[in-house]
Amino acid sequence: MTDIANAALPINLGSGPFAVTTQGLAKRFGSVRALDGLDLQVPEGAVYVLVGPNGAGKSTLIRALMGLVRYETGTVSILGRDPADQGAEVRADIGYVPEDYRFGYAWMTVGRWLEHQAVYHPSWDAEYARELGKRYEIDPGRKCHTLSKGQSRRVQLVTALAHRPPLLLLDEPTDGLDHVVRDETLSILSEHLADSPTTVVISTHRVYEVEPLVDHVGVLSEGRLLGQLPRDELRGSLLRYWADVPEGWSGPGELGGRVVKRSGAARAIEWTVWGDRDAVTRGLSEAGAAVREVAPLSVDEAAVALLSETGRKAS
Amino acid sequence: MKIRLSHADGRPLYIQIMDEVRSGLVRGTLRPEDPLPSVRELSSSLRVNPRTVSQAYAALERDGVVRVRHGKGTFVAPGVRPDERERPRLAREVARRALADASRNGLALADLMTALREVEGGDPHRDGDGSKEGGQ
Repeated sequence: MTDIANAALPINLGSGPFAVTTQGLAKRFGSVRALDGLDLQVPEGAVYVLVGPNGAGKSTLIRALMGLVRYETGTVSILGRDPADQGAEVRADIGYVPEDYRFGYAWMTVGRWLEHQAVYHPSWDAEYARELGKRYEIDPGRKCHTLSKGQSRRVQLVTALAHRPPLLLLDEPTDGLDHVVRDETLSILSEHLADSPTTVVISTHRVYEVEPLVDHVGVLSEGRLLGQLPRDELRGSLLRYWADVPEGWSGPGELGGRVVKRSGAARAIEWTVWGDRDAVTRGLSEAGAAVREVAPLSVDEAAVALLSETGRKAS
Repeated sequence: MKIRLSHADGRPLYIQIMDEVRSGLVRGTLRPEDPLPSVRELSSSLRVNPRTVSQAYAALERDGVVRVRHGKGTFVAPGVRPDERERPRLAREVARRALADASRNGLALADLMTALREVEGGDPHRDGDGSKEGGQ
């Protein structure tokens, strides 16, 4: 009964306009396929979260968008340009928080580092940089390599935001930050979105943190997208159904959706189904189940459901 | 005005913001012509996407609850009569949630109505008054 309808989650977001696209992007590290024919579509102005397990290819993808890794096949377009040909120009338009928290040179002070960034990015907003520096309590006199992970992250966030770039690529942006600074960062990002028109790609394991900011979701597994869709569509079509069923119930013949996960005891069952809410509810009711509740999943829960389903299929 | 959101709540965030504004009107903490927080302020304090706040304000404007004055911000509409429209509307929303909760627990409307009257009237058998139930 788990193969009722094998409707995959949507991957194609339509005709755009897109700030970022990749087509058939593939990259190997030795025998490991880090990216396996990836078609990314990030609409202009979207806040797009990339979720996936360790090793799914999230950081490699972001580095490929930055023009920092060579890929074997496929194409990348960032704001209409190819980072393989115009790497420096593309990078000047991107606010990037890398996975690695080290930056600058050991001898360099944070103040000097920020001055370098101001020269590199013509749109650097010095007043905004000062304001962010103050909110993050950054000491410009510190040497770059004496900073803790959290202190480095704060400098990297200032570096990414202060030139108000049209594209932000944030790889685990809150990694290493304490609770208060993480919360402050979310507030800063909300204000930044209100003040500066920008497209954002965030890769994070703390999806629940950024969920209220996010409007698009990409689920990445083994270098491929399992789904790429607006948050509202995920909320509307991937749903959890709780139902009471008769003893020895064999399940519905046709559910009008794809069962992602099924669990429960003898007479109370929980399904996670991708499909039309009314059709699935009708399918369950007609088969004799009393549907007690239908509820959307958080992005975290959705990712866990979809990724563990893939794990089961592979094993 | 203080707006609270619950991320455990299944309702979309923009709907929650709309209901919080309605609730402020019903309670009287928001009155006609009062300014609402700017999109930037509210999204920053709630840590949500500014578009979510804009979406809520636009839907409230369509409902005639608020009015956007260009360059000045968003204000409660001058002609809002909370008791005529917002109160019954908010009550229906709360009722929908209560019914859904009852249904999840296997309770019918009649069970819920009876229990509501008992709780409101301070019935001694209600939960939380354990001294009379368990103690004797």
